[in-house]
Amino acid sequence: MNHPLLDLAGARPVLLDGAMGTELMARGLPKGACPEAWNVDRPEVVAAVHAEYFAAGSDAVSTNTFGGSRIRLGGHGLEARTYELNFAAARLARAAAPSGKYVAGSIGPTGKFLKPQGEFTEAEFEDSFAEQARGLADGGADVLLLETHYDLREALAALRAARRAAAIPVFVTMTFNAFPKGFFTLMGDSAAKCAAELERAGAEAVGANCTLNSEQMAGAVKALKEATGLPLVAQANAGQPELAADGTVSYSQSLEDYVTFIPDIVEAGARFVGGCCGTNPEFIRAMARTILEGEFP
Amino acid sequence: MTQDLFRNMSEAIIAGDRTRSAALAEEAVRAGLDLIEVIEKGYVPGIQRVGELWEEGEYFLPELITSAEAMKTAMAVLEPELARQRIKARTSGKVVIGTVEGDIHDIGKNLVASMLQAGGFEVHDLGVDVALDRFVEKAEAVGADFICLSALLTTTLTNQKRLIGLLREKGLRDKYKVLVGGAPASAKWAEEIGADGYAENAVSAVKLAKSLAGKA
Repeated sequence: MNHPLLDLAGARPVLLDGAMGTELMARGLPKGACPEAWNVDRPEVVAAVHAEYFAAGSDAVSTNTFGGSRIRLGGHGLEARTYELNFAAARLARAAAPSGKYVAGSIGPTGKFLKPQGEFTEAEFEDSFAEQARGLADGGADVLLLETHYDLREALAALRAARRAAAIPVFVTMTFNAFPKGFFTLMGDSAAKCAAELERAGAEAVGANCTLNSEQMAGAVKALKEATGLPLVAQANAGQPELAADGTVSYSQSLEDYVTFIPDIVEAGARFVGGCCGTNPEFIRAMARTILEGEFP
Repeated sequence: MTQDLFRNMSEAIIAGDRTRSAALAEEAVRAGLDLIEVIEKGYVPGIQRVGELWEEGEYFLPELITSAEAMKTAMAVLEPELARQRIKARTSGKVVIGTVEGDIHDIGKNLVASMLQAGGFEVHDLGVDVALDRFVEKAEAVGADFICLSALLTTTLTNQKRLIGLLREKGLRDKYKVLVGGAPASAKWAEEIGADGYAENAVSAVKLAKSLAGKA
């Protein structure tokens, strides 16, 4: 499948965005509230976050729809608004995007398990994701970014749903833990197995996000690179969150430390690079200097 | 003979084979074996080995869950029989567990609850988005030894601290051991808020609870 965003990644590393949820909380999203509801209730706030990331240098931003699957919205009693909230999210991101910039429709995990560990069937997951994917595509997303998946079976169900619902490229990032034997999902699938199966199932790009810090991420990208020829996506956390007793949150990696490893991530083969938990527009600005002004093949 | 049965029980747990683990429990009941010995020498070594395999990076979440389920299936056969014989199975302690209010994440909490139950604790799982009062009410009602609090978000983690404040206000702080977990929690956090302990994962949560129960 051709897309100008894939062409751009062929020419140079593409810069994605950083965290969304914490940016919304900093702008008043109450604890426990559904972030996706703000795509309709407070669209100007969500659009302002996108605008900051574009201004910082992002080539593409992710929609505010991480928890926008039907099953996940059901946790807030909003399942009947799945299409509406996803459509609105894509539309407002599209409107915030300057010419030549792109929108990735974010699709996070359901937070539930498939049988036998959980109650759900793959068909139920697929339907839940298809409705979300349709909303995102109709609202104007350029690509779908299936992200932070901890179960390869769920990611494959989401990929099938995305294919069924929309005719746009699909990127899939899994979240891996670092073990002495390599990088594995919560469910025990290796980075190599995930990359190979997702490629076989038709993903346009695969990668890793969340959990790992930027130093570990370079290793995960290497492991993925050995298993697939697809373009790779990498969005590392700024280390681990730490909460002081007074409620202030900090991450174990400083901005300087985080950015130090960005060249390693790119050299390991990542063509789409962004941030995850603990990152913000400042991180993206620093990454833009490193990536866009660096000399990378 | 009994040694073989014990080994088979242990293997059924390690394999996560519920059918076999229940059938072996029924066999033990029919043979009139000492069921406390059956639990401690047959099944418990199995679930302990599962924990080791997880720590070694051989087992992952699906294996932990299926093994914990196999353990529960066996206990569901043995417990009514123990009750009939008026024998009290030695429990490791009573636990009230839940994800704190404002937070609906339950993967980690469910796993900890399952492993604690498989590890011989009586577990009362309150689910997700649990009001702080409910933890205290339930702990009082069941005579809990432990209150276990999960939180995935940095914004809801503070409710772990609030729960400890609530216990203090009610003059109940010393009555319960409060254990905390979740991605943003840490040993340092547990210490700062005055909790009794922190565990990084389900396997270490069982170890921690057992070591604290031993001291109690």
